[in-house]
Amino acid sequence: MRPMQITLFTGCWLRRVRDAALALAAVAGACSVGVAQTAVSPAPGLSSGPVETAQPDRGINEWLLRMHEASRRRAYIGTFVVSSGSSMASAKIWHICDGQNQMERVESLSGPPRSTFRRDDQVITFLPESKHAVAERRESLGLFPNLLQSADSSIAQFYSARQAGHDRVAGFDADVVVLQPKDKLRYGYRVWSEKRTGLVVKLQTLDVDGRVLEQSAFSELQLDAPVNMTKLNQMMSNTEGYKVDRPEMIKTTAAVEGWVLKAPVAGFKAMSCFKRPVAATETAAADNTMQWIFSDGLASVSLFVELFDRRHHGQEGQMVIGATQTITRRIGDWWLTVVGEAPAQTLAAFAQGLERKK
Amino acid sequence: MTNDTLKTREAISALADGQLRGQEFARVVEAVSKDDDARATWHAYHVVGDVLRSGDAAGHNDLAFVARLQIRLKSEEVAVQSADAVKLIAPDAINAGANGQFDTKRDSANVSRFRWKLVAGLASFTAVAAVGWGLVGGLSTAPTVNLAAAPAAPASATVVAIEQPQIMIRDPRLDELLAAHKQFGGTSALQMPAGFLRNATFEVPNR
Repeated sequence: MRPMQITLFTGCWLRRVRDAALALAAVAGACSVGVAQTAVSPAPGLSSGPVETAQPDRGINEWLLRMHEASRRRAYIGTFVVSSGSSMASAKIWHICDGQNQMERVESLSGPPRSTFRRDDQVITFLPESKHAVAERRESLGLFPNLLQSADSSIAQFYSARQAGHDRVAGFDADVVVLQPKDKLRYGYRVWSEKRTGLVVKLQTLDVDGRVLEQSAFSELQLDAPVNMTKLNQMMSNTEGYKVDRPEMIKTTAAVEGWVLKAPVAGFKAMSCFKRPVAATETAAADNTMQWIFSDGLASVSLFVELFDRRHHGQEGQMVIGATQTITRRIGDWWLTVVGEAPAQTLAAFAQGLERKK
Repeated sequence: MTNDTLKTREAISALADGQLRGQEFARVVEAVSKDDDARATWHAYHVVGDVLRSGDAAGHNDLAFVARLQIRLKSEEVAVQSADAVKLIAPDAINAGANGQFDTKRDSANVSRFRWKLVAGLASFTAVAAVGWGLVGGLSTAPTVNLAAAPAAPASATVVAIEQPQIMIRDPRLDELLAAHKQFGGTSALQMPAGFLRNATFEVPNR
């Protein structure tokens, strides 16, 4: 074998290695600061949760509101585990709400180091290995519970809620609630909602036959934990040494972009539409890929439309990872990628229904 | 390794990255076309570049090759850590500074990989995870829902024909779209808190 091992790192490769080494050193420094938690108890009022009343017949909207409110009013620290398909990931979570603002810190425990901070709908993800940070506004985070309270909420029209006994998760007693779809165009969910507070402690996505496609759960949870909001704020805004990227999202409408969904898919409503340069690589230019987002309240589907590129877009096809389905289709000069947590036939219906109007 | 060999390899690396201009460019092209060893190096850089960028192009139908290369890459990380960093860095710095042969404004072959990682907001993706990919040549057929309602014989025949699973190496572009969907498509009542935590926690496992 030729001695190519070392030579890989000469020239530009060498610079990469050097940069990576510097980044690692800096991370080691950053981690030793800030992780320490001071014992500050949550603000008064946070610890008194909603009064538990025996209410076996909650409707789906009540269950969802209760689960949502639980995270708004609580401070907690825990370890969160997600398994999807054959893979697993875990992260340490810090969550706090001071009655007005919510903050969250998610520190990956598996895979490459990664920290995500969220203040309401502002999200920043630090990638210490490359010393990059991505800051963005996630509009969708603010939609709920307005989504549910609005008069045209259709969640109850397409799903029903049914309590299916009790269980223990991470040492907490939980109500098990099944959110059952009323047709075959969407997946079902099994939700473990902590008895006293309503907090979602475990969540499974189920296919039309009730098989588990994906699940996430707290493996360890400390409710009403001492989480210091000031400290989280400091950590979130400390981008020193990081190159901060703010992906540009341009609001648009499908009509303006020249697209129409000629046959709507039952229950799914258009939520928003953006143009975003997903990436500017040498194989795909920053071509302002359109992302048109649909949701039925629980599941969401994204339609990505970009210019067809022969080098890049070969075979139409479909793919499954856990609960996430993907379908690709060529429409004349365009390439459509449909991604969503919904059965393949739902995605196929979107792929069929999209039409060029210009 | 002699200093000359090292310099030649470095020059070939720069050439592969499109960073050479003028005389230097001509000299290295000449070297590559004449010397077997240099040509092998040239080829190796391209293979490595392709794999780093997409995990796709180089070993399109040869998973075993990609797997071997990855084992090699892993063992190299160890080798480099134990090597004398100054020796490795010095010739590079000298070349860049003194001869000005590196056009630093141009991106290196492996730069795009770092960029798409960043934009997608996830630290890494499965470049080599083999996933089932059904060839849906029959996407133009109606979705199965409708088929169930109208069980016409010709229609169901097309549906049966579409399943031809093949192993496909994941495309980084597809990973970007998946990440974008997770970030901005999480328009769900379960998004808070479970969905957000799920997306921030979950990541397609690293190779």
